[in-house]
Amino acid sequence: MSAKYDVIVIGGGHNGLVHAAYLAKAGKKVLVLERRHVVGGAAVTEEVFPGFKFSVCSYVVSLLRPEIIRDLDLPRHGLEILPLDGTFTPMLNGDYLWRVNDHGKTRREIARHSKLDADAYDEYGKAMADMGRFVKPILSMTPPDPTKLTLKGLQDLLFLGKRFQQLSGEDKYNQVQLMTMSAVDFLDQWFETDVLKATMSASGIIGTFLGVRSPGTAYVLLHHYMGEIDGAFRSWGFARGGTGAISDAIADAAREAGVEIRTKTPIAKIKLVNGKAKGVVLENGDEIDATVMSSSVDPRLTFMKMIGESELPGDFVEDIQRYKFRGSSGKVNLALDALPDFKSIPGPGAHLRGAMSISPSVEYMERAYDDAKYGRFSRRPYIDMVIPTLTDPSLAPPGKHVMSCFVQYAPYKLKDTDWDKEKENFGDTVIDTIAEHAPNIKSIIKHRQIVTPLDLEREWGLSEGNIFQGELSLEQLFFLRPAPGWAQYRTPIKNLYMCGSATHPGGGIMGANGKNAAEKLLEDWKRGKV
Amino acid sequence: MAEKRDVVIIGGGPNGLVAACYLAKAGLRPVVLEKRNVVGGIAVTEEFAPGFKASSVLHATGPFLPSIARDLGLEKHGLSFIQTEVRVFAPAPDGRSITLYSDAARTARELERVSAHDAKGYLSFQDTLGRIGKVLEPLLTMTPPSIDDPSLSELWQLLGVGRKFRGLPRRDAFRLLRWGPMAIADLVAEFFETELLRSIVAARGIYGTSAGPWSAGTSLGLILQAASDSNAAGPATFVRGGMGALTQALAAAARGLGAEVRTGSTVARVVTKDGAATGVVLSTGEDVPARAVVSNADPKRTLLGLVDPVDLDPDFLHKIRNYRASGSIAKVHLALSGLPEFSALRSAGGNASGTLSGRIHIGPDIDYLERAHDAAKYGDFSPHPYCDVTIPTVTDPSLAPSGKHVMSVVAQFAPYKLKGDWNAKREALGDAVVDAIAAYAPNLKGLVAHRQVLTPVDLEETYGLTGGHVFHGEPALDQLFTMRPLLGWAQYRTPIRGLYLCGSGTHPGGGVTGAPGANASREIQKDLRGR
Repeated sequence: MSAKYDVIVIGGGHNGLVHAAYLAKAGKKVLVLERRHVVGGAAVTEEVFPGFKFSVCSYVVSLLRPEIIRDLDLPRHGLEILPLDGTFTPMLNGDYLWRVNDHGKTRREIARHSKLDADAYDEYGKAMADMGRFVKPILSMTPPDPTKLTLKGLQDLLFLGKRFQQLSGEDKYNQVQLMTMSAVDFLDQWFETDVLKATMSASGIIGTFLGVRSPGTAYVLLHHYMGEIDGAFRSWGFARGGTGAISDAIADAAREAGVEIRTKTPIAKIKLVNGKAKGVVLENGDEIDATVMSSSVDPRLTFMKMIGESELPGDFVEDIQRYKFRGSSGKVNLALDALPDFKSIPGPGAHLRGAMSISPSVEYMERAYDDAKYGRFSRRPYIDMVIPTLTDPSLAPPGKHVMSCFVQYAPYKLKDTDWDKEKENFGDTVIDTIAEHAPNIKSIIKHRQIVTPLDLEREWGLSEGNIFQGELSLEQLFFLRPAPGWAQYRTPIKNLYMCGSATHPGGGIMGANGKNAAEKLLEDWKRGKV
Repeated sequence: MAEKRDVVIIGGGPNGLVAACYLAKAGLRPVVLEKRNVVGGIAVTEEFAPGFKASSVLHATGPFLPSIARDLGLEKHGLSFIQTEVRVFAPAPDGRSITLYSDAARTARELERVSAHDAKGYLSFQDTLGRIGKVLEPLLTMTPPSIDDPSLSELWQLLGVGRKFRGLPRRDAFRLLRWGPMAIADLVAEFFETELLRSIVAARGIYGTSAGPWSAGTSLGLILQAASDSNAAGPATFVRGGMGALTQALAAAARGLGAEVRTGSTVARVVTKDGAATGVVLSTGEDVPARAVVSNADPKRTLLGLVDPVDLDPDFLHKIRNYRASGSIAKVHLALSGLPEFSALRSAGGNASGTLSGRIHIGPDIDYLERAHDAAKYGDFSPHPYCDVTIPTVTDPSLAPSGKHVMSVVAQFAPYKLKGDWNAKREALGDAVVDAIAAYAPNLKGLVAHRQVLTPVDLEETYGLTGGHVFHGEPALDQLFTMRPLLGWAQYRTPIRGLYLCGSGTHPGGGVTGAPGANASREIQKDLRGR
């Protein structure tokens, strides 16, 4: 008998939804099963306190692939991206660094700190744009398997090789450095202003268990130059209605294409019949059959919980057990009666409309990391703050505001204590840190929501609270993500596929994973491999 | 006018002398100009206290490539290596210890007492390392391919490596790919559960670098060592008479082959004509014209110190300035009135000295190594340094008066860029090092008759190492193979025609293997034959 559904997508995160939408558009009958009451996974907007809506986890958009926005016609489904203008970095000496999207302004601002850096900033921007163009096609390609090269794989490698050959000597040099160096070492070659290097390098460590001086962190600098919103190169932004609005738009597009989406439907097991995935068993005992299961949840949940070691090859089990999650970040979401008042730029102003970054110096960032290495949250963490209500008042009652604070480092594994005990202390540390720059913060907080790595794991199903479903370190990227030999969205279980952030090209609200996986699956389907 | 040489070699370190030998062997007439009154560079034996001699900078070879020793017949010139059965002895704070032997099986048997899991892990680690080492071995003696237009022979060589790679079991192939960029702390955790064992192996990844075990890419150091010595315990190849005996043998071999080796000859600058090197000028003003100039000095000293900046384009200068060569080790030599007694060896009694014949690892766990590195990040030396210790007199009594001993310590981390002045902190560092070791050998302090401390600044001033970096530059992912010292300049040539590099700042890097010198001499011969 033929299955009721062609594909069951496990998990209704943005990748799962993108995946489902593309499959449905190709004529497949798709069912998406989401454990929580709302779709979106880590890309959700939730009314945490009456009248206050938060992008609880992920809070800015940048790398959502433009082809996906086009293919799924997301604007028509309600997606609207509002610009996030610039980054404001208050310093402990009362000074500040404020970069905005207006290049001229930023140049003048940097010149205030260093004439040389202002000049370097132009060249840097150009160089990074070139690099970004080089790397972009890699995002939408299925990683080849270097140990058993098929013709396609060989072509892909040659394609990359050619592109690399075509780069100018200068760009080759930069590219190699970007892939291998630490963010700080890389930036040291361009800039002398410490606070500038600190703030820029911050983007290299987000979601990783690395410090700004750890090799491999330079690469992520690129992402900030690849972000494209309505074509506007490298600008970051908010979704009107919060990050959840993105998921809702994708879900809407998916439904229109015929996808069925069920929330509050937790899955207990993936049903195997002589080694083949045949369907899922819900926690309430119900069974739903389908030809193919596609999992957008992380490998630990997919394989260790929903399949079970005994069904998998030993090597693969080892690889999945070794796959590094190590969540290193948390969120503190604040409901505010008024706006924060910074020492370095008092009063309200445009500096509050962009990102506010607590990253005053390279040493500050590095010491924050040192704490984490030895199993405690940073005594003085790196914090990236945004106040979306300044661009989208609909998120809070009139006159009130929501402020989202991304905090690093908050290591999942704490030494001699646990997150249930430390949760409030963590919140206090974050508030104290902000208060050093904006003293009025304590008096304007109406409510605070603290999201620890443990919460991310329990509530959002992110193992060890890793927001990217596994560390974005070189040994877990491209043809090594999530496991050597299994980077092509397939798994050792026939008819079970992966389409989440734990696959190439990794985390962030890109959607590329879901799209790439859909293409791979459809290809297999055509070849009768399903 | 002085007679024109074929090749003048700046610096008489191991690689300069190896290059001299091969060039002379090829019938060219090289002259080696060494600034100091003794050849050897960082491989030199010196008397640091009356009657006490030590290998001044590095105290073990990387190991030195046997093929080169054979080619040059170094044994004939008095070279004899000491390969001890005990490779590493590592005392633990709890009075226990771990000993790693050249024989992996024996090591595994000993590890059984500590952890069955680790005994098993050690053997599989040794197997993988052995297989990976074989794949990488050819890279050591090969000139990194040109990125822009690789020649056929280069591609052919790479293809060979590629074929070897495909020959690996799939799992090892992926390990090789995965490990390169990995933090060595993660790598050792994949094989071992015992912190001390993890620390011993992890130390190989940070030795001589400005990185801690949690720094990504530190696994690479271990992988590269596997190419020359795939023993899981790491190389422990010493030279009878100290490292100086190696370079003395090399100098003798060079002279025997017709090369001239001059000491006390400081090169002031490289002379160029129409952008090509035509010789060097000594500090005495003496001209030494030559068809080719080869520098054994590090890339920064050579290209920023010895040549006229107008001969290099600003872009290249910018890159060389950004070449990372900030040293992280200090060297401590102790003249001892007797053999120190390690608490962990009390029971062993008699064979204690045997156990101390290899390297002694001071660094109980990964966090200890990482904290040692943390201090350096902020410009302080480690209050509790990681120490790679040898007592050469155990196997080679000739280095000290009878019954007495020499202890040679490579101590990390001692950052070249120190907050404050090294001259003011030299002895404080010495104390920290002695304390770190005395924690495991309580009677050590009582035995110290004399102590010499070489800070990174001393290493720079005395041995001409820019930034005091013993490897002539960080062995980091972005400064290796086709990128050592710079992408596009990894074939021993420089933008100045006729000026070559042959030191550790070129592929395959530092550690007294002789390979850079041998590879460079090959490229130089090609060009000189061409002209």
